[in-house]
Amino acid sequence: MARKALLISPELCIGCRGCQTACKAWNQLPATKTVNKGTFENPPDLTPNLYNRIRYVEVPSETNMVRWLFVSQRCMHCDDAGCIRICPAPGALFKTKEGAVAFDKNKCIGCKLCVAGCPFNVPRYDEKDKISKCHLCSDRIAEGLSPACAKTCPTGAIAYGDRDELIAKAQKAGYQKLYGEADLGGLGVLYAFKDAPKLYGMIEKPEIPETVLFWHKVLKPLSYIGLAGAVAAAALHYIAIGPKRDEGGE
Amino acid sequence: MTQYIKKATAAEIINHWLLAGSFFLLAITGFGFLFKLEWMASIFGSFHSMRTIHNWSGVVFIIALLGTVFHYLPVALSWSKDDIEWFKKAGGYLSKGVKVPPQDIINAGQKLFYLFLLISGIVIAASGFVIWLMAGVREWVLISHLLHNIAFDLLVIAIPLHIYLGTLANPGTFRIMVYGTVPVEWARKRHGKWVQRLGY
Amino acid sequence: MTNQWNDIKNADVILVMGANPAENHPISMRWVMKAKERGAKLIVVDPRFTRTAAKADIYCPIRSGTDIAFLGGMINYILQNNLYFKDYVVNYTNATYLVNPEFKGPGELDGVFSGYDPKTRKYDKKTWSYQLDENGIPKKDPTLKDPHCVFQLLKKHYSRYTIDRVAQITGAPKEKILEVYKTYASTGRPDRVATELYAMGWTQHTVGTQNIRAMAIIQLLLGNVGMAGGGINALRGESNVQGATDQGVLFHILPGYLPVPTASLTDLNKYIEKYTPKTKDPKSVNWWSNRNKYIVSYLKAIWGDKATKENDFGYQWLPKLDEGQNCSWLVLFDEMFKGRFEGFFAWGQNPACSSGNAGKVRKALAKLKWMVNVNLFENETGSFWKAPGVKPEEIQTEVFFLPCAFSVEKEGSITNSGRLAQWRYKAVDPPGEARSDADIINELYFRVKKLYQKEGGKFPEPILNLTWNYGERGQDGKIKKVNTHLIAKEINGYYLTDIFDTKVTPPKQIGKKGQLCTNFVTLQADGTTSCGNWIYSGSYTEKDGKVINMMARRGRKDINGLGLYPEWAWCWPLNRRIIYNRASVDLQGRPWDKKRAVIWWNPEKINPQTNKPGTWEGDVPDGPAPPMGMEGGKYPFIMRPEGVGLIFGPGLNDGPFPEHYEPLECPLQENPLSKKHRINPTVRLFYPVKGPHDMPAEKGPEEDIFFSCDIRYPYVATTYRVSEHWQTGVLTRHLPWQLEMMPQQFVEISKELAAEKGIKSGDKVIVSSARGKVWAIAIVTERLKPFKVMNQTIHQVGLPWCFGWLYPEDGSGGDSSNLLTPTIGDANTLIPETKAFMVNIEKA
Repeated sequence: MARKALLISPELCIGCRGCQTACKAWNQLPATKTVNKGTFENPPDLTPNLYNRIRYVEVPSETNMVRWLFVSQRCMHCDDAGCIRICPAPGALFKTKEGAVAFDKNKCIGCKLCVAGCPFNVPRYDEKDKISKCHLCSDRIAEGLSPACAKTCPTGAIAYGDRDELIAKAQKAGYQKLYGEADLGGLGVLYAFKDAPKLYGMIEKPEIPETVLFWHKVLKPLSYIGLAGAVAAAALHYIAIGPKRDEGGE
Repeated sequence: MTQYIKKATAAEIINHWLLAGSFFLLAITGFGFLFKLEWMASIFGSFHSMRTIHNWSGVVFIIALLGTVFHYLPVALSWSKDDIEWFKKAGGYLSKGVKVPPQDIINAGQKLFYLFLLISGIVIAASGFVIWLMAGVREWVLISHLLHNIAFDLLVIAIPLHIYLGTLANPGTFRIMVYGTVPVEWARKRHGKWVQRLGY
Repeated sequence: MTNQWNDIKNADVILVMGANPAENHPISMRWVMKAKERGAKLIVVDPRFTRTAAKADIYCPIRSGTDIAFLGGMINYILQNNLYFKDYVVNYTNATYLVNPEFKGPGELDGVFSGYDPKTRKYDKKTWSYQLDENGIPKKDPTLKDPHCVFQLLKKHYSRYTIDRVAQITGAPKEKILEVYKTYASTGRPDRVATELYAMGWTQHTVGTQNIRAMAIIQLLLGNVGMAGGGINALRGESNVQGATDQGVLFHILPGYLPVPTASLTDLNKYIEKYTPKTKDPKSVNWWSNRNKYIVSYLKAIWGDKATKENDFGYQWLPKLDEGQNCSWLVLFDEMFKGRFEGFFAWGQNPACSSGNAGKVRKALAKLKWMVNVNLFENETGSFWKAPGVKPEEIQTEVFFLPCAFSVEKEGSITNSGRLAQWRYKAVDPPGEARSDADIINELYFRVKKLYQKEGGKFPEPILNLTWNYGERGQDGKIKKVNTHLIAKEINGYYLTDIFDTKVTPPKQIGKKGQLCTNFVTLQADGTTSCGNWIYSGSYTEKDGKVINMMARRGRKDINGLGLYPEWAWCWPLNRRIIYNRASVDLQGRPWDKKRAVIWWNPEKINPQTNKPGTWEGDVPDGPAPPMGMEGGKYPFIMRPEGVGLIFGPGLNDGPFPEHYEPLECPLQENPLSKKHRINPTVRLFYPVKGPHDMPAEKGPEEDIFFSCDIRYPYVATTYRVSEHWQTGVLTRHLPWQLEMMPQQFVEISKELAAEKGIKSGDKVIVSSARGKVWAIAIVTERLKPFKVMNQTIHQVGLPWCFGWLYPEDGSGGDSSNLLTPTIGDANTLIPETKAFMVNIEKA
């Protein structure tokens, strides 16, 4: 099956936050009591009950008084997902056939290693210490529907479809390179940015933490190689040299 | 009739088995997590209960490990020329008939092993507790995760060797962890300094 | 709307001024963004950099309440640079018409037009008239050179609105003003078109109607009315406000924009005589000449057989207004405040939060004997008696709460801003005892009727004689449950007898007794047809014996890719998607813009009506007559007796050309354009003014107090809504998901003002006006900047009105910003001026 993805176009986003509500409605996520902290942005961060949110970023503009950017924040559905790599519980975090990084709360053991493995600081934990995050509405997309956020977006700022087609569409609209096109094996959430990702508050070059990669590539195989090696060395010693016995000695 | 002398107290023996037992649980559940071994998880119930066992075994492990400090640390820190010599001769393990200098209640190799075990044990336990109790604190967890796994790799190499040396490689050693006593003659050969000090 | 929501995508330039569609009409932005994809430019003019402004190619800030100065400057720019669409202006507007030489403008009379009487604060409009020729037809000068022609008067009037002066009044940067003018005026060509989107940001001013008039003039000058991607588009504040207005839910109009009669119009003939405009110009269609058919058919619809020719079809049973009586919002609550009402139905509204000067409303409610609050949820209006600071034991008002159904819990039509009536189906039953509005009215009707039958009364006929055939009757004769299809059919109208067209021989049958009317063209003035609302005639009709609910249609055929979808639902009038579309073609019926042709004359095709070659294609044209330049051709603006678009508009109370006046509360001592009249000279005052600059008099009603150019209230304020809440928030403050995003009352202030006041973003502040105060969380932002107005630094702030004390229950949301707004309204509509007033801000 062709890999599915979301194409986020902040240029088209009007900051209406229909996506925030639609997500909560579909996933039946309760609201949090918030206060206004001097900005439209609310809640101030992703929570176990907030899978996606719009960040409101005011940046200087050359032509207008100011530039007000609306940027969707959510799980990026990495192809090479740090969370899946580090997760010790099989099936707790997994890839769907559409390419979504989904989760199974029943299988989550609440260790939160995924928080450490995620380059985007996305995973959150609910009150039962179970993983909670955007899963690209894996239940909807499995039935051929689009995710709730994309479905509700009035301007097409969140577009859902075949990843290749979305990239082609964005290229046609003049976006030579999309954010997330090649990072981490290609993200499942692509951003059509007009300027440097930094301006939008995004990490320039998202990467799985070096330590996680080192662990995954070196330490993990070394554990059983080392164990096997130690056992083998002992056996070899036993055969070649043999045990220390007291016979014949002083 | 063979004369025995007491080499380990009951407390030492119990503590050792606690340490060994918890380590065993930790190591196999560790492998279970590392390679997502469903069959192993099913032995423990589930990954979730396996995590609980792993975490609480860690508590037993660190308590037992710290208990060993009273038993082995002073002697492990007392080094002499003989210890260096011992190492030069590889403890006599590499060929038959090599004479090693007289050793204390634990030999130079055991001293080094103990210091290694203590340090890596503390590292693996401490990092384990960070991962457990500071879950979600990204930087701490990342570095702990790294240290936990480095220590794990070292321990899964060192512990089998320790078991080998304490059993097959040195017949007669294992009974220390059962009865706490060894034959005097056996001890004289291996722990000459100690036996001498005891006045045998 | 002259056009449609999805027609916005056809525009080349989109001006959003007096609106904030990204926040209040988010779905419309779909079409704005589609237009932008095609290369269209989005211009946003707003005191505040809104979420819509975030999408703009050009953003120009202006001080609240200075729209006419800004638009007047644009008119001047268009005229000075000859950027108007000459063929259009000469043929389709009254620019060529010669005006009474006695007519004088505010430039000559220091702020007022000729005919002003300061005592009555009204105009004698005698001089606002056309010069007529011997046939009684207005004289014209197609060269536009006559000094008395509308075009020259316009030029003269707006010559005072120079860029410098506009910048001084509005506080907008000059280069931004020019950029907007240049971009917008670039559409004064046949192949370019601009549209304008406005909402309450324009209407809720003392010059609200004139704000829109100013834009109408610009659109006529640029030839943008009637075009696809053009027009002037009111973004209605609720999904069915257009429908409510159409059905006459206002004090002065009956359904279909038939005026409510006044006491002096003692019989139907007098009424028809007064409200039927006349023209002697043979090229004018003058559609309102059909007024008699519509009023008679309306009377037949509501009183059925009881409405006879002998009793003037029941005309006497219609309620009549006293001469000059105004029953609009502000006046109603003023009367209520004065204790002149016993009872009040607050139906689907929350005036305790939504009304201008809501504090006065809250006090007024306490003067009632009873109030019925019909709503989905308990709100601040129904709970006024337990509001903070109110002692329930002192309130005598008895409050009843009737829970009603939500729109998805009932079936019926909904008319969007584009006049598109769409049928909606019921998804679920209303919960508990909640009933649809229609069922509540039904219950009320039968109970009131019963009372009249039992006890009699002063004037029982209007109630007793009402037709009320909206469903199955129970044994007691009462309708058990209202069937909205029957209401829709009554609105469409029936043929009460067989109807014949007697103009042809032999007379041709056009209607069969008992059948639904085809459309309003077949309505009669003799009582042989009934029609509840003539503009909706054709919405629920019969073809070949089959009843068709046109509003329930879901066809997807389009015209020219414009997105008009003529088979999707039904649009009044006559399913016309773009009104004034006859102005989108030249005199020969060829579209000005062939790429975006709305209608076009096909000279070869046989017209089914006349059986002669030559017929219109495309959208439903504004009348079937041939193009204006052909034999039998008619003018395009059929609703006007002149037949053309009005650049000179003598119908309004406050002048034939829009003129800049300051809001009731403003930061300036005097109107920069005229020394004498600071505020609109024809507004109805609730608090007396004195002196040459309309300052508050020493004495007046306390609740209606205002302060202008007063050091105690130095900052210009405006109010608005946010995407996250619906109107006063009665629906959305109960939705925790919405509240999570927008939890509390806030006030947006510039960094400069914040620094001056030592306020940090997130601080709690008190915003106060002459009438009240609210707390708010300060949002300190780059999106507001101080204005340079008449060489002074003026700070502008803004706050939403979607909060109220009742919900959230812990009071953490704050209260309505309408506690601050003044008691003053537009000179024509009396819509409250909530978009420009003066406040002070202090750290709490």
